[in-house]
Amino acid sequence: MRFAGSFMPDQINILVIDDEQIMREGCTRILSKDGWAVICAENGTKGLEEIKAQSEKIDVILLDLMMPGMSGMEVLDHVRTIDPTLLVIVITGYATVESAVEAMKKGAYDFIPKPFTPDQLRIVVKRALEKRTLQKEAEFLRREREKSLRDIATEKSKIKTIINCMGDGVLVCDRDGCIVLSNPAVSRMLKISESSLLGNFLPQCNLHSELANTIQESLATPDKNYTSVSQELSIGESGEIFLRAHTAPVRNDLGETMGSVTVLQDISHLKELDKMKSEFIAMVTHELRAPIAAVEQQLTVILNKMAGDVTEKQEQLLSRAKERTKGLLDLIKDLLDLSKIEAGKIVQYKEPLNLQEVIQKVVDLMRAQAENKKIDLQFSPSSQISLIHADRNSMEGIFTNLISNAIKYTPEGRTVFVQLGEEGGFVKASVSDTGIGIKKEDLSRIFDKFYRVKSSETRQIVQIVGTGLGLSIVKSIVDAHLGSISVESEEGGGTTFTVLLPKESNPSICVGEKS
Amino acid sequence: MPKKILIVDDDPDLVEAVTMILESKNYEVAAAYGGIEGLQKAKTENPDLIVLDVMMPDKDGYVVCKELKADPKLNKIPILLLTAVISKIATSRYTQQMGLETEADDYIDKPVEPEVLVKRIEMLLAK
Repeated sequence: MRFAGSFMPDQINILVIDDEQIMREGCTRILSKDGWAVICAENGTKGLEEIKAQSEKIDVILLDLMMPGMSGMEVLDHVRTIDPTLLVIVITGYATVESAVEAMKKGAYDFIPKPFTPDQLRIVVKRALEKRTLQKEAEFLRREREKSLRDIATEKSKIKTIINCMGDGVLVCDRDGCIVLSNPAVSRMLKISESSLLGNFLPQCNLHSELANTIQESLATPDKNYTSVSQELSIGESGEIFLRAHTAPVRNDLGETMGSVTVLQDISHLKELDKMKSEFIAMVTHELRAPIAAVEQQLTVILNKMAGDVTEKQEQLLSRAKERTKGLLDLIKDLLDLSKIEAGKIVQYKEPLNLQEVIQKVVDLMRAQAENKKIDLQFSPSSQISLIHADRNSMEGIFTNLISNAIKYTPEGRTVFVQLGEEGGFVKASVSDTGIGIKKEDLSRIFDKFYRVKSSETRQIVQIVGTGLGLSIVKSIVDAHLGSISVESEEGGGTTFTVLLPKESNPSICVGEKS
Repeated sequence: MPKKILIVDDDPDLVEAVTMILESKNYEVAAAYGGIEGLQKAKTENPDLIVLDVMMPDKDGYVVCKELKADPKLNKIPILLLTAVISKIATSRYTQQMGLETEADDYIDKPVEPEVLVKRIEMLLAK
């Protein structure tokens, strides 16, 4: 590859301005050998015309200083005004240092004294062309940089516009907890003016205390697994605005925390709808429950022959009718539970709780049910378990449901394991059955309301009577405790439900999903 | 002399069914079909025990219970609350919302199996 490189055009053009035909022809002959194109002009005026016509194309000019008419010095002056970057090599006839120095002062790049050998000419021209390459390279880089800076500025302005137009709030803190970015949505949602947020440190800006804690936590935590936290906040004295806040630390390539980003979503309308739905369910179920309870009470009285004798056939029919009313009442009870949880009513009495005691109590209560099916119900408690912050009744409900399910789905003579331990900031409880397992396609929907795994096997092995609400209630309760529940199962190999509940001592770190 | 039990429930069908259960066990039964009527009959009927529904339109069971326990002439009468919702939740909710401790002596979910009802009543009467 020739030194011209990528910044030089494929064809290099050299302009020779000299009044002597021999010189013009000589230069043309020598320079053409290297593949360069030579343009000739026999005087200064014509030379300048060429330059004006195609200054972009001309790479180097060879200029004779001593010419009739316009002198080389004059031509040089004009060239400098046309394009100061053009490289001019002056040819000095008398080998006088003075004229060469003067030309250089005027901006000529180099000079070559007459007479010269072809090699001397080539060396001088090559050097000029190298300079030309560097010049073009520098020019190219300068343009690139300008373009990049422009791009960055555009990008910045674009991002700023996007963030400001967003309906969701965006709040960014630096690593010292100083707020460096806050969009109008944040001010609207938190009811704090932008000026009292921007540039202020977290404790100064009257932020929702739970949110401030979470942000501090995300800045402080050295745990690399700590990625994002999601929490619900209620804003305003009457709690009319509900926000969901996602907070995540920003880390550099070394894994150091550089700051944190919080995105706020207004979920008030969802909460409102949810509340209406729950109230509706509660109303309907109460209205439904009373008459069904009365019907069942009447059936009970008849079946107990308190209203006179009952034939065998009548007893049969009425017993079945009673089973049906019982099923309805169970469904209503589950619906009520769910609507209460969703209305935030059940899980309001959180206290420091020893989960070991709770589970032990449930296990003791469930033992009779297990023994009926000859199932070995094993509970292996851990020696020291941290307290959790939870509602006792709800916790009993969760584990009654999970253990009762496990017993239901485990064939006679096998084992159900209940385990308790700790994992990070969480107390971890798991219930494993050795039953039929759950199909993959069912696993993802298992916590949905009214979802029941249906298969010929479940019908045969276990007579499952239920409403399909149990697990969704369990999940609602776990969610209300800022914990998580997961399920692992192998078809035919049993199922394990694992519940993680935040430890009492450390409530702020456990507000939601850790992924 | 049979013991006298006052049933307070706004649902006449339920009152009838419970009456039949109790009469079959030789209790004397008086019925009231609302909270206000229940309070009156507690005074006039002189019952040995009151079976009290919680959700009633005119005056709910908790309020009736509180008024009974506040009355020095009536506060010795044991009260069995009959709830249509899971008893634990019903009472804890009430405690939370009203800031009141219910003073009922026992709770039972309806519908109720006759032998359970009778046993609980016997236990309360034996106290």
